[in-house]
Amino acid sequence: MDTDMSVSSAVILAAGEGKRLRPLTKYRPKPMLPAATKPILEHVFDQLIDAGISELVVVVGYRHERVQSHFGSTYRNVPVTYVFQEKQLGTGHALLLAESEVDGTSVVINGDQLVDSRIISDAVGEHDSAATATMALLQRSNVEPYGGVLIDEDGIVTKITENPRDGHDYHLNAGVYVLEPAAFDAVRAVESQIGEHSLLDGLSKLVDEGEIVHGAVSEGLWVDATYPWDLLDVSSALFDTGVVNGNSKIVGHETTTVHDTAVISEPVLIDRDCVVGPGAVVGPYVCLGENTTIGSNAVLERSVVDNDTTIGANATVVDCVTGTGVEIGPGSTIPGGPGDVRVGDTVYEDEALGALLADRVVDRGGVDYVPGALVGPETDIQTGTTVRGTLAGGTEVRS
Amino acid sequence: MCGIIGYAGTQANRPVLEVLSNGLSRLEYRGYDSAGIAVAPEVSVYKRKGELEDLEETLPDAPVDALAGIGHTRWSTHGPPSDENAHPHTDCEDRVAVVHNGIIENYRELRDELEEVGHIFDSETDTEVVPHLIEAALEQGADPGSAFRQAIERLEGSYAVAAVFRGREEVYATRYQSPLVLGLDEDGALLASDVPAFLEYTDEVVYLEDGQFATIRPSGIEVRDQLGALVDVSVETVDWDPEDAGKSGYDHYMLKEIYEQPRSIRECLRGRPQPFEESVSIEELEDLPRPAEMHFVACGTSYHASLYATRLFRERGVRATAFLASEYDVETVPVDEETLVVGVTQSGETADTLRALRTANGVGARTLAVTNVVGSSAARETDHTMYIRAGPEIGVAATKTFATQQAALAMLSSALTGECSREFVESLRALPDQIQSILDDSRAEEIAEEYVHADAYFFIGRGYSAPVALEGALKMKEITYRHAEGFAAGELKHGPLALVTERTPVFALVNGDSNAEKMLGNVTEVEARGAPVVAVTDDPGFVETHADHVLSVPDTHWRFFPILANVQLQLLAYWVANRLGRSIDKPRNLAKSVTVE
Repeated sequence: MDTDMSVSSAVILAAGEGKRLRPLTKYRPKPMLPAATKPILEHVFDQLIDAGISELVVVVGYRHERVQSHFGSTYRNVPVTYVFQEKQLGTGHALLLAESEVDGTSVVINGDQLVDSRIISDAVGEHDSAATATMALLQRSNVEPYGGVLIDEDGIVTKITENPRDGHDYHLNAGVYVLEPAAFDAVRAVESQIGEHSLLDGLSKLVDEGEIVHGAVSEGLWVDATYPWDLLDVSSALFDTGVVNGNSKIVGHETTTVHDTAVISEPVLIDRDCVVGPGAVVGPYVCLGENTTIGSNAVLERSVVDNDTTIGANATVVDCVTGTGVEIGPGSTIPGGPGDVRVGDTVYEDEALGALLADRVVDRGGVDYVPGALVGPETDIQTGTTVRGTLAGGTEVRS
Repeated sequence: MCGIIGYAGTQANRPVLEVLSNGLSRLEYRGYDSAGIAVAPEVSVYKRKGELEDLEETLPDAPVDALAGIGHTRWSTHGPPSDENAHPHTDCEDRVAVVHNGIIENYRELRDELEEVGHIFDSETDTEVVPHLIEAALEQGADPGSAFRQAIERLEGSYAVAAVFRGREEVYATRYQSPLVLGLDEDGALLASDVPAFLEYTDEVVYLEDGQFATIRPSGIEVRDQLGALVDVSVETVDWDPEDAGKSGYDHYMLKEIYEQPRSIRECLRGRPQPFEESVSIEELEDLPRPAEMHFVACGTSYHASLYATRLFRERGVRATAFLASEYDVETVPVDEETLVVGVTQSGETADTLRALRTANGVGARTLAVTNVVGSSAARETDHTMYIRAGPEIGVAATKTFATQQAALAMLSSALTGECSREFVESLRALPDQIQSILDDSRAEEIAEEYVHADAYFFIGRGYSAPVALEGALKMKEITYRHAEGFAAGELKHGPLALVTERTPVFALVNGDSNAEKMLGNVTEVEARGAPVVAVTDDPGFVETHADHVLSVPDTHWRFFPILANVQLQLLAYWVANRLGRSIDKPRNLAKSVTVE
């Protein structure tokens, strides 16, 4: 951690929905989806503050009330300012909306990906007065699904490209930038393009014009959820790297009640106001959000259970992601992956997903899930149904 | 109604004018028809009718050489809003400047007496007698501290008063039945009508008691009792986040506070429902026995929460009655030691409610305050206190505090009677997400748009929903300035139906589990008169053929339907007011905390 950090403000980009995370994003943007038991964005704030940032400027857009109500005007005593991007016209447009809220050099960061403070500190540490911008980079074997960056032997960026496929030795763009005011000007200069524009277009322009853009190669933790079931891997990564402590002797919080006969297998994280009933088996790799209820003798393993969800007695829940306010009825069985997940016309084979239940799905009990099931929000699943494949939201389903 | 701020500190660290202006902006919700500031040791006064921005224009740009000062936002009780009537007020020679919150009942006599001996008054306020009384005492040779005390001793009524004197780098203050808190800071000391005014500087506070006198100086505070003896005060730490007073990206505090309700309810519930025992326990009330009889005393929105509470208690066999605090009188309402008198007041400073509680105390009744403000007068003066834990509410129109009052009172009814069920506990715990689901998906904005030009708005409900019909109408009146009335639905045909036309939308609270058929009858009554009907319901299928629109809420235990339905009505009032361009957070003629009777 760099405590002498000279950069004090950060712009966090959190306006986009994150469409590939549907159906979990019906009522909240991707940055508010849970990583362990708190929103991805809250982890981003934590890491920024740990890296020495003392002013947070958040660009919000899609379902912005969820962000604003969660964080309010301060987070960990650091002031939070909101900038509203009415239409999601890209990261460049978002950045320029936030420009008036920051002075001098600032950190700019994606609000929907998990990074640890080392990546932020590495980028700030690498940045110097000669550079107009610095990008945090990671060495990854598979850069193709993400943003790729080429650097020369001095660490100067020579090329920025999306989804690189040309076989060069690309670094992965971690979505963490240190920008001088001139970098904002470069983003503005490419704004004339119609439709969305990315802040990366601005950085590419700097590179093309011979301005110095540093690449700061970091070894810090970086995890992104591309698809909703990736939230399971994200939470597992947080446990395995120690970003969240899943081995606390005192599980959860003093307002959480765990029955004496319940079995808790670490790593596990149980938030406030939860109830774990007699004989329930919770863990390993289970995250219970605030105010969740686990019925007696229910069994949970490798699952992310979001706030206010209730899991009925004798239910089995493995490799499951839930939204908020979900009810899994008594005796229902989510047996765990692997399963084939269908999104639109694409089938993702052998994903480690038991089932994904979006916000306020109600399962009336005795429901069997075929691995890979995706259930849309507010779906009402009648007792005894077998759920397979993808169910649209707001419907009633019976066998 | 008014708000007071005071500060004494070292100029180098914290300019006095800046502290006072910031404090006033935090107090603005208490009253805002005029504002003013006075600083010492020169006793320079800056004051203006209008909003705080108007005052800020009159303040000098250059830093003033001052170490102590007082400020005031005024909500008129004596004399209309004007530059002259704005506080601070001074004596004839500008040796002392005074700010005051409350009402001086004997100001007429005092003013006549002072004018007779040659004092010239500039304003029509009751307050102005105070600086002239101080001046008279100074002329008799008293030092500032004694002169202040002698002047206060002449006052009858309720007051929180602060004064600065020429040549003195300190602020003198006292209170009697009006709120005043002190704050301790490394660089000085502060005082204010309530904590958020100075929370950005310190969270170390001292609650001044009635009749105590305080002097605040850059070096600290000194508190003396009525007889002049030094008081050993206890310093408390408040845990409110100062920036909670920010709008956090919302256009209005009211909307922010509506959206904060899931979180506020979480806080309100925390640790209270006992899922394994299927009961509710309220830690701070463990020694409170089941009452034989209960009187709820409250005003405005809190009164509506009290009406809801009485039904909960009555249903569980406790004789419970709600009274408007201003109408509560133990001489006409029998009260004894067996009676539990519950004051429901968000601020804990509502003058009418405090008076009613004091009266009840006086005849030996046990008293309980249900309030949001730790250390408030209601909390300190009653035998028991239950906190609703809503967090600071800045919008004048109560929203999240009503939701948490309802939830708190529902829990109280279970805790005191021991009557509970698994379903009740589960329904309580489901509230945060159910409110969130309403906020996620409400159609209130489009319905508000359709009826923004209505002649009037009527709200009807039965049983548990009747108080929410009243509250829905109150919210609409407060922030839209349009005519709105709430009725118990059965009363419609006994009069109000005459007002119903095709230009008066009727908002009907229809709970599928209770009185649904009767409500449907009332809905058809207004439907037959051509009035648009908007049903707020947990059972859309039941009413949709009779309603022009439906605002739906999740299915819940019927006792909690009103908590959910009210959220839709809050949003409705907000969006109508927003469309009309009203001053939503500070509606005309209203103040947040009503500290005069």
